[in-house]
Amino acid sequence: MPAEPLPLFLSSVKLKYVKLGYQYLVNHLLTFLLISTMVAILLELARLGPEQILSLWRSLHFSQVQLLCSIFLAVMAATFFFMSRPRPIYLVDYACFRPSRTCRVPFSTFMEHARQMPFFDEKSVRFQLRILERSGLGEETCLPPANHYIPPQSSMEASRAEASLVIFSAIDELFAKTGLKPKDIDILVVNCSLFSPTPSLSAMVINKYKLRSNILSFNLSGMGCSAGLISIDLARDLLQVHRNSYALVVSTEIITPNYYSGNQRSMLLPNCLFRMGAAAVLLSNRRRERARAKYRLVRIVRTHKGADDRSYRCVYEEEDDEGNAGINLSKDLMAVAGDALKANITTIGPLVLPASEQLLFLLSLIGRKIIYPAWKPYIPDFKRAFEHFCIHAGGRAVIDELQKSLDLSAEHVEASRMALHRFGNTSSSSLWYELNYIEAKGRMRRGDRVWMIGFGSGFKCNSAVWKCLRTIRTPVEGPWSGSIHRYPVHIPEVVKLL
Amino acid sequence: MTAGGRRVTVYAKSTAVSGTPVRPGKTYPLSSLDHLMGRHTLHLVFYYRPGPTLDRDGLKESLSEVLSHYPAATGRLSRGEDGGWIVKCNDAGVRLLDARANVTLEEWLGSASAEEEMELAYWEPMGDDPSIWSPYYIQITEFEDKAFAIGLSCTHMHADPTCATLLVRAWADSHRRACIAYAPFLHPPAFLPRPDPRPSHPLLSLKSSSAPFASNSKMSSATFRFSDLAVKSLLADLQPDASPFSALAALFWSRIARAAGVPPGPGELTLVVDVRKRMHAPLPHGFYGNALHFSRARADLAAGVAHVVDELGRHVAGLPEDEVWAAAEWAHERRHRGEEAFQMYGPELTCFALDHLMAYGAAFEKEGEGGRPAHVSYRVGGAEGEGLVVVLPAAEEGAARTVMVTLPEEVAKTICRDDAILRYGPTVMFAGRV
Repeated sequence: MPAEPLPLFLSSVKLKYVKLGYQYLVNHLLTFLLISTMVAILLELARLGPEQILSLWRSLHFSQVQLLCSIFLAVMAATFFFMSRPRPIYLVDYACFRPSRTCRVPFSTFMEHARQMPFFDEKSVRFQLRILERSGLGEETCLPPANHYIPPQSSMEASRAEASLVIFSAIDELFAKTGLKPKDIDILVVNCSLFSPTPSLSAMVINKYKLRSNILSFNLSGMGCSAGLISIDLARDLLQVHRNSYALVVSTEIITPNYYSGNQRSMLLPNCLFRMGAAAVLLSNRRRERARAKYRLVRIVRTHKGADDRSYRCVYEEEDDEGNAGINLSKDLMAVAGDALKANITTIGPLVLPASEQLLFLLSLIGRKIIYPAWKPYIPDFKRAFEHFCIHAGGRAVIDELQKSLDLSAEHVEASRMALHRFGNTSSSSLWYELNYIEAKGRMRRGDRVWMIGFGSGFKCNSAVWKCLRTIRTPVEGPWSGSIHRYPVHIPEVVKLL
Repeated sequence: MTAGGRRVTVYAKSTAVSGTPVRPGKTYPLSSLDHLMGRHTLHLVFYYRPGPTLDRDGLKESLSEVLSHYPAATGRLSRGEDGGWIVKCNDAGVRLLDARANVTLEEWLGSASAEEEMELAYWEPMGDDPSIWSPYYIQITEFEDKAFAIGLSCTHMHADPTCATLLVRAWADSHRRACIAYAPFLHPPAFLPRPDPRPSHPLLSLKSSSAPFASNSKMSSATFRFSDLAVKSLLADLQPDASPFSALAALFWSRIARAAGVPPGPGELTLVVDVRKRMHAPLPHGFYGNALHFSRARADLAAGVAHVVDELGRHVAGLPEDEVWAAAEWAHERRHRGEEAFQMYGPELTCFALDHLMAYGAAFEKEGEGGRPAHVSYRVGGAEGEGLVVVLPAAEEGAARTVMVTLPEEVAKTICRDDAILRYGPTVMFAGRV
């Protein structure tokens, strides 16, 4: 990346200190300027005696009315400023669904079932085997009970049973953790992309927990794996309008009705990667909750590339030649994801990066435009903006791609890789499993910033930035409780299946 | 009896996996004694009365937990380098069938035939591909009154009746949240040949070299439940200090010989005995695999049943350990010559001593709530010929025993009406063609 003429200079140790000095100076520029100005004024005031200061004051000829008006204006400006700021949104707590051990799907069982299904031909079986071997999944991922049958039962009743199981279990755990009563919930947002019964899943939650009749409920479907962050965004907007409220956001993906029973390769991937999972998140804008809230929502940035046809058709649910419905993942998926990510980080960059990085990026941009077009663009170092990264565990390729393009270390993507290994691709709830991993490892300290990146069909790339409000102590009660001591594990490139 | 329609419907097939993953790369080689049993299958049915914690989902959960202790049961068979079978412990799980019966348990026990009983233990023989074939099939059948029947079918190569029983017993212990009483003990080198092997097994050599049994007579089965008093009175009539097994085996042998038209005189009976606790270094009860010994007992049927009782008792008590080792070495040699399995149970009349089984201790409900099984049935598949007599424990404690016979149809009919047997007032169940 550095220009050829100065290799020795750039690799010297002294340059590291120059860089650090530069970053401190630029990031805290205002502070430096303010402090130097204040020091100058104080020195000046100290030089003048108290009588001279008084006479200076009197010479300004302020009348009482003018004084009162200016104070009044100042107070009004301050009030206006404080009232127009957005309400802080606190994440009080969240809970993830913990699958029972009877739902576990070892690779050998998955392959055995695939071989026994009459609708899969030999090539499809071998393809699924290859996918599993390279998927980055472990032997403890779970599928819903209906998928354990030969052939899988994908009735509406089975789908509702899975929805009840995952959603109610996550919400029960959240209520137990936060001590919240169901009657206190003012806003409910449920997102589940592929299963949308009537009445909706949000109605199912309201029915089960006997929520209030004036609840604001929303059910988002069809929005893909990034719908979790879209639900948080919706809840946040609602919490700006409604004061002193609690919002319950439930993210899940119901696997039961979506087993693909055909032989088209581009549609077989979801069978191999998608697993059962759900998360329930409690958001609030009550000032009182700040004391016990875990995180504060700093920013959400949503990018939608649906205007571009290639991105739109990238993840497409359709029927194959034999009439079996499935989700078709096109070959351009990685390229499209890369584009969407670039668009998203171009937007979020200026909002979160420290001034030093932004200045460098601006200079490199100006330099490329005016001076030397062939200069490589400066990729801002997002590691300076965030301590933790939660990348949607969509698949091993997605995590590898992001690690490369954002230049992240193995520890930064560890949460994503381990969540993929332990739980599989749980779609919109995967970000919460990853966050829980970081907490369970005891790495979450007060003041840490977390960047959640979700990708979804459409093609969408959504980011959320959270700031940790209190250090989270281990042991953490959650989906990783029984297994965190075994992680991180080394995940081989290819797992040889017997 | 069935009136046209089937009373048992199997409505779903799934796979039950263990709760904890198996360490990858584990294998379990089958012993030579296991290989000998290749032609046979085992079918067990445990009947349970309704109970508060007895429900399908709970049973499946405890099954998952117990399978974590049995990595060999959840593995798949494959051919090893020497051509013998080894189990690749690949964590694939056991096949689980869900079924429903539209009668109550009492009605079933009173009226079901032998053939119907086999519908409670689903079985699929090995197809072309052993790597996707589960050696265990477990069926959970729910009766109309919420009673349950747990059927377990497996290949005899993996387990003998003791092993299969203790699997169900471990499952019951796990369901009750109790500690597993007889934990499985996987020890492949248990029956490896001695340093100076002396292989010899005249009985099995004879069986293996004879032509395979081809008969067109159908086999029938019947179950006789003898109460404690009945067995005690039988012992009083014959030999007061004999074991219930010897007495019942002798009684049935003499009656079957007469029914089959064998002229009274010196005769031989094949006895099958579990040798786990008969070795100088005894194997734990939970030893996984086959630990059975086939031997020939001789007695003069014309000299009266009491004499036969004596002879059988002496034979079983005095079984030399040397013979067991010689048998294991013979089996080992045979396997290395690459010869196929042959019929072990039969074609001659065989008697199986299984009254040491702890089947009735497999209680899924806690103590005092009647969680013990109402009845346990055992059947061995592939035992064609003159028949098989199995002496099993019974629900009642003490000297009570259950005797299951599988005989040629005509002989079975005669035995079911035989006075000498019916004199002791046994309950006859599950009679009929298999």
